[in-house]
Amino acid sequence: MRRALIALPLLIILFLLQSYFWVPTYEEQTKGNPERLAEYVSASIGDAQLLNPILAADSSSGTIDGLVFEGLLDYDENLKHRGRVAERWELSEVAYFYVNEEAGRGGADEAASLIRRARVERLGGKDPLAKSLENIQEIEIFPPSAREEEVVEKGAKGEKAKVTLHLTPPPRIKLTMKEVDQDLFTNLEKILGPRYFSGFRPERFVRVEPAGFAAKTTEYAQAVLPAVEHNPIILFHLRPGVKFHDDHPLEARDVKFTYDAVMDAANLSPRIPDFEPVKTVEILDPLTLRIIYKRLHSPALATWMMGILPEHRLNRAALREEARGRGLNPETMTIRQSLFNRAPVGCGPFRFRKWESDQYILLDRFEDYWEGAPNYRRYAYRVIPDFLTQEMEFYAGTADSYEVQPHQVQRLKDDPRYQSFSGLGFSYTYIGYNLRRPPLDDVRVRRALGMAVDVEKIIRYVLYGQGERITGPFPKQTDFYNHEVKALPYEPEGAERLLAEAGWKRNKDGWLEKDGKRLQFTLITNQGNDIRKAILSIVQDAWRKIGVDVRTDVLEWAVFIQERVDKQDFDALVLGWSMGIDPDLYQIWHSSQTGPYQLNFCGFRNQQADDLIIRIRQEYDRKQQISLCRRLHEIIAAEQPYTFLYTGRWTALLDKRIVIMERDASGKMRYAKIKPTKTGSYTFFFNKWIKLPEAPVFRAEG
Amino acid sequence: MLAFLGRSLVQKVVTLLFIMVISFAVVHLPPGEPSQVDPLNPKFTKEVVERFRQHFHLDKPLYQQFLLFYRDFFAGKSVSWKDGLPVLAKIYDRFLNSLPLFILGTLITWTLSFPLGIQAAIRRGGTFDRSTTFLAYLLISIPAFFFAYLLIVVVVNTCHVPVIGMRTFGLAGAGVAARIMDRVWHMVLPAILGATAGIALLSRYVRSQMLEVENQDYIRTARAKGLPEEEVHYKHALRNALLPFVTMFGLVLPGLIGGSVIIESIFAWPGIGRMAYEAILARDYPVIISELFISAVLVLIGTFLSDLLYMVVDPRIKL
Repeated sequence: MRRALIALPLLIILFLLQSYFWVPTYEEQTKGNPERLAEYVSASIGDAQLLNPILAADSSSGTIDGLVFEGLLDYDENLKHRGRVAERWELSEVAYFYVNEEAGRGGADEAASLIRRARVERLGGKDPLAKSLENIQEIEIFPPSAREEEVVEKGAKGEKAKVTLHLTPPPRIKLTMKEVDQDLFTNLEKILGPRYFSGFRPERFVRVEPAGFAAKTTEYAQAVLPAVEHNPIILFHLRPGVKFHDDHPLEARDVKFTYDAVMDAANLSPRIPDFEPVKTVEILDPLTLRIIYKRLHSPALATWMMGILPEHRLNRAALREEARGRGLNPETMTIRQSLFNRAPVGCGPFRFRKWESDQYILLDRFEDYWEGAPNYRRYAYRVIPDFLTQEMEFYAGTADSYEVQPHQVQRLKDDPRYQSFSGLGFSYTYIGYNLRRPPLDDVRVRRALGMAVDVEKIIRYVLYGQGERITGPFPKQTDFYNHEVKALPYEPEGAERLLAEAGWKRNKDGWLEKDGKRLQFTLITNQGNDIRKAILSIVQDAWRKIGVDVRTDVLEWAVFIQERVDKQDFDALVLGWSMGIDPDLYQIWHSSQTGPYQLNFCGFRNQQADDLIIRIRQEYDRKQQISLCRRLHEIIAAEQPYTFLYTGRWTALLDKRIVIMERDASGKMRYAKIKPTKTGSYTFFFNKWIKLPEAPVFRAEG
Repeated sequence: MLAFLGRSLVQKVVTLLFIMVISFAVVHLPPGEPSQVDPLNPKFTKEVVERFRQHFHLDKPLYQQFLLFYRDFFAGKSVSWKDGLPVLAKIYDRFLNSLPLFILGTLITWTLSFPLGIQAAIRRGGTFDRSTTFLAYLLISIPAFFFAYLLIVVVVNTCHVPVIGMRTFGLAGAGVAARIMDRVWHMVLPAILGATAGIALLSRYVRSQMLEVENQDYIRTARAKGLPEEEVHYKHALRNALLPFVTMFGLVLPGLIGGSVIIESIFAWPGIGRMAYEAILARDYPVIISELFISAVLVLIGTFLSDLLYMVVDPRIKL
């Protein structure tokens, strides 16, 4: 009995410990196992959710989707659009307007000939009107034709009521144009008369039935008979010879299918708003597609970066088949329920092999990839939900890269055992003020508050130097960011002067006071982000020093969002935004988005900014867009609705044995060191990476 | 006996009903929404969020959601909101992953605690007893995650071998024996960590039970009879000291599905505890409630089993 009691645990422990001798060390993993060199192992905090580009909304799924699927285009090294599945594309526009007979310019023929004549007269001119006219390729007149439309309305008791609109519209003129031109109609008013378009009264041509709804005639009329209409057109030419991983060629119908799948409400795609401005998607031939938009919306081009789905795998027939095999209802089966999302088939550089939830996703390279197969034969995406263990796995050689935490950067960035890369992120942290509440509605007060905070110090001590000061809402590494805008200086005395100007004087206790009321408010942030918490205390201290009685509060995320942000019940908050590359700021900064549950929760309203935001999302010319964005940046910085703090800097370590390998025309291999692109992306040339058995030595370049 | 069974069954069903209601409420009442309806993602417009809420029945009153959920659950049809996979299949997969860790951990706990506790009781007040007491309290007081980090850092930096996950990555080319041993190796650290707190507690418990029994009259009688010390300790004392542990075994059962959140997260072990934790973070209600329900059932079965076991091993007890 006694012996057994002691022997048993000893045996178990011995058995466990001997297993150590079977496990390969960092060196042995590659030496005894050359296959390891052809595999890239990455580590991630979270697992993917759905491997389907039209359904996924998390970053892990996005990473894998980016390798397995490919969109029509993507961003190149300089963050400009670049063709992928689409070889090239052309942007053009058709625009319509109703002839406004009240404007005193006669009927359709007169209006059309006015434009034609002006076009000839001003040929070669440099003014905006001449450019708009030159852009017009064709003018067509649509004679008037009466029609009927139906609208469903809520009746007096909440029941559904059918409303019929009898339309007898005036003739309409169609302008076909070479390029998209958002100023077309503003310029045409110079010929057709100042209120030709804005003075058009569509309600004259609508009769509402039943008459009970006649009060809403104007509203209906403006919706069905808009005075002017811009229809931008993208003509995509697909790359011939692109294949899905199952050897099926990718054609225009796959692109159309992907669009239809997004718009199918049953699939619950979070991408619907991206594609809502699309009017029609037409297949012209197997490799050509025409996409017509309902209105000017330049972010639309970037939405085609979404991966293309294989139609033959997910169409109605395929889904029915799958449903039958799995005992589901074939009629209600949706793409969201399909097992495709666990074993996707795309046309990207890597094909899917295996997914073990919360462990790993394995991909193999796709030999028939149109741009040439990647060098790595396999890609492994490991889920390691803890930064310290990720680091340990990196040291042990079972992860090839590691995203360094800010406090480790000093120690690791120059470590000769690894290669390191660093760049700015796409998110920023700010202090937002509730502009509806005095005294924060006074720009002098906001400015003073910003001047009292030493942002450089926050970066140095809270972020360990891993961040950069920003002055506006665009990502700092994009061209949209205006580097000429000066950051607020750190000047507590200047801040006090500004506050004095605004009427705030120190009372005998040292607090700022105006009309007997103390300058007092609360600064809040969410639980679970230690950096924001640290900022909260630093800012509180800085503001108290200039006599502002600021209280702080840290709230659980859900409470913070639902009770405070959504209901706009806050004075000031510390929060961050994660930005995309597209410069559309409508949801965060436009004055129409200031209601409850909307994202302009600070209540920023500025007519100039509104105009610019609209112009930016309607502008298709990148150069124009850049100058508009820089102007918008200036305005927002002048108004200081946020005190913009910093954008974070990331640093990544990579195994030193990983290099870029290219073959020249004769098939000879050339190795090069991995270099980040101008915007800091070091993985941009990932398909050319390979791991060598020994760390290479590169000659100094000269 | 039969009366006891019937009474017990009725009681347990009633308890279970209460648990169903309470767990449903606990999951639904706190603020926060499933990650699919994230309020601060500019991509999600009101319409998208509304559609998701409808799809998940979140727009219905709570009692209807309750009925809808349990209808799906008992039909085996409830699916995870995160990836649309059936909840029960997910739980079963994760259960299989957690199982070896659980068995090994329990094995280490129980096999080590008994020799340690018994020796400490026999050598009461000696150096061995005092050092095990010290160790036990040390292990109880060290937070599991801290101990885990220490172990990982030490092992990786001295031995240069991977310890995270269920196996070494990129080992596909190795032989079968090597792969099996690799898996065993990956279980060593998490299993030992999972066992430490258990060993510390259980060995203390064994020691006190042994001490209590050793002071009984019949032990003195056994010694007086002239039996060898070995037989006194291991036959007469141990047998009687074992009684309370029989009931503890029944309570081990719920641990099967509980898993260990901390250890599974640190070691990237795809176990059931980690799944539950992540489900809570993502507000994946079906997964959370299903796990709560299943563990509640296991707890009830566990207490029932320990009642029965007690009856079997201790004939003095009549129910």
